[in-house]
Amino acid sequence: MKPQNLIALLLFIVGAVWALTRSERSVRNIQSTYYRAISPFLKGGAAIETKASEFIQEVEHSKALEMKYKLAKEELDQKRMEVAHLRKLEAENTHLNQALKFQENIPFHVLAAKIIRRQPSTWWHTVTIDRGDKHGVGVQLPVLSPEGLVGKIDAPSKDTSTVILLTDEKCQVSAKVEGTPEAGIISGLRDTAEESPSLLLRFLSKDANLKPGMLVFTTGRGGLFPPDILLGTIKTFAPGPLYGEALVEPAVDFTTLQTVFVKIPKPLSSAREIGAATANSTKK
Amino acid sequence: MLLILAACMVQQFLPAIGGLFGARILILPLVFLCCSVCVSFSSMLVLAFICGFLWDAQHTLGAQGGDPNIYTDPVESLRFGYSIILYAMMGLLMQFIQPLFRKAKWHISSILAGIAIFSYLFTEYLLLNFVRGDFTFPPRVLYRIYLTSALTMLFSPLIFWIIHHLASSCRHNIRYEGLRQKHRYID
Repeated sequence: MKPQNLIALLLFIVGAVWALTRSERSVRNIQSTYYRAISPFLKGGAAIETKASEFIQEVEHSKALEMKYKLAKEELDQKRMEVAHLRKLEAENTHLNQALKFQENIPFHVLAAKIIRRQPSTWWHTVTIDRGDKHGVGVQLPVLSPEGLVGKIDAPSKDTSTVILLTDEKCQVSAKVEGTPEAGIISGLRDTAEESPSLLLRFLSKDANLKPGMLVFTTGRGGLFPPDILLGTIKTFAPGPLYGEALVEPAVDFTTLQTVFVKIPKPLSSAREIGAATANSTKK
Repeated sequence: MLLILAACMVQQFLPAIGGLFGARILILPLVFLCCSVCVSFSSMLVLAFICGFLWDAQHTLGAQGGDPNIYTDPVESLRFGYSIILYAMMGLLMQFIQPLFRKAKWHISSILAGIAIFSYLFTEYLLLNFVRGDFTFPPRVLYRIYLTSALTMLFSPLIFWIIHHLASSCRHNIRYEGLRQKHRYID
C-alpha cells in the first residue's frame, strides 16, 4: 500500500472512531446544525412537491373531463375547474374546522403543524413537520391528531422537526385497554407496511380477555404522553408463555395525515415571543 | 464535492414509493459510488467519511426517553457513524473495478453500483436486526431492498455522464494511476 493511502486509511479510521463515539448531545448538535442548513431546501421541496401533486391531480382530472365532455366549450371547462377548486377549498375548510375544534377542546396547549415530508429514511417511520424549536417544539414532545396519537418529536431543529411515528418500532407508548385492567407497552412493528400498519401491544396478562374492537388508550405513565389519548383498536390477541401480545390497528390513518398537533408546555402566542425564541436559538 | 452536496439536497426531494414496498432512489449513495470509482483510494475514503457523516446526520434517531421504570425494554437504534464504515466498504468494492471503468466499461460499474446499494441496505437491515434482536426478514423487506437497488442503479449512467462532463469541464483526467500499475488490479 502506498504511504499516502496508508495515512488516509489511518485518518479515516480515526475519523470513523471519532464519529462513532460521539455522545447523544453531540449527535443532536450535529443534527440540529445539519437540519438548519437544509431547512430552506426542505421547505422549498415541500412546496414543489405540493405543486407537483396538485398538477398531477389536475392533469388526471382534466383527462377524465376530456373523455366525458370533449365537445364542451372552453368556458364550461373553466367553470368546472373553478367549482373543483372551490370544492377543494371547502374540503380544506372542513378539515381546518375539525382541527380548530380539536385544538379548542383538548385540555392542554398544542401547536398546529403541517407535514412537509414523509418517510425520509429507508427503515424508520418518520415525517418532518414545519415547526421547530423557534416555535417552542422540543425533543420527545407528543404529536397528536384529532383521531389519536401520531408519535413524538425526535429531532427538532430551528424551523422544522422530525416526528417519529407510532408505527415505528422505536416509538414505545405505555398503553391500556379500555374496560379491562390490562396495560402494556405498544409500539410499531419492524417491517410493517406503511399503507396498512399494525401496532404490537406487549406485556399483557397471558390470560387477558381481549376481544377485537376494544379501544386502546395511553396510560399517561412514563412521562412522555398524556393519558387517555386513543391509540387504536385491538385486532387479535395471542397469549404467550409469560405475557400476552395483541395486534392493534392504529386510530390514525398515517397515509392521509396532513396536519398534526404538537403538545407544548406553554404556547408561544405572540409574535414577540416567537421573535424572542428565534433570537435565543440564533444566539445558541 | 459539489456533486455530493447537490446529491444531499436532491435526496430531500425523493420520497419513498408506496406502491413499490417503500422503495426509493438513493441518490447520495449512488453519487458516492460513481465518484469512488473515479477517484484514488485516499479520496474515496474522504468521500466515504463525508457522505456517511451527512447520511447519519440526517437519519440517526434519538434516544428512547421516558421513565426507565415504565419503558424497561428500550429499542436500540444504529449508532451515529456506522454509515461511514458502510460507505467505505461500498467504495472499496467500487475501487476493485477501476481497471474496467478506465476501459470505458461503465456498464459494469453501473451494475456494481446496484449490487453495492443492495449490499449496503442488506447489511444495514442485518445490523438493525442485530442491535434490536428478534431476527425477522419478511419478503417485503427483500422487495424494498431489491427495488431500491434497481431504481438507484437505473440512474447511475446519468451520474457517470455528469461526472464525465464535470471532469472535462474542469480539465481533470479521471483515468489515473491505474494505467501505470496494471498488475495491482483485477483486469
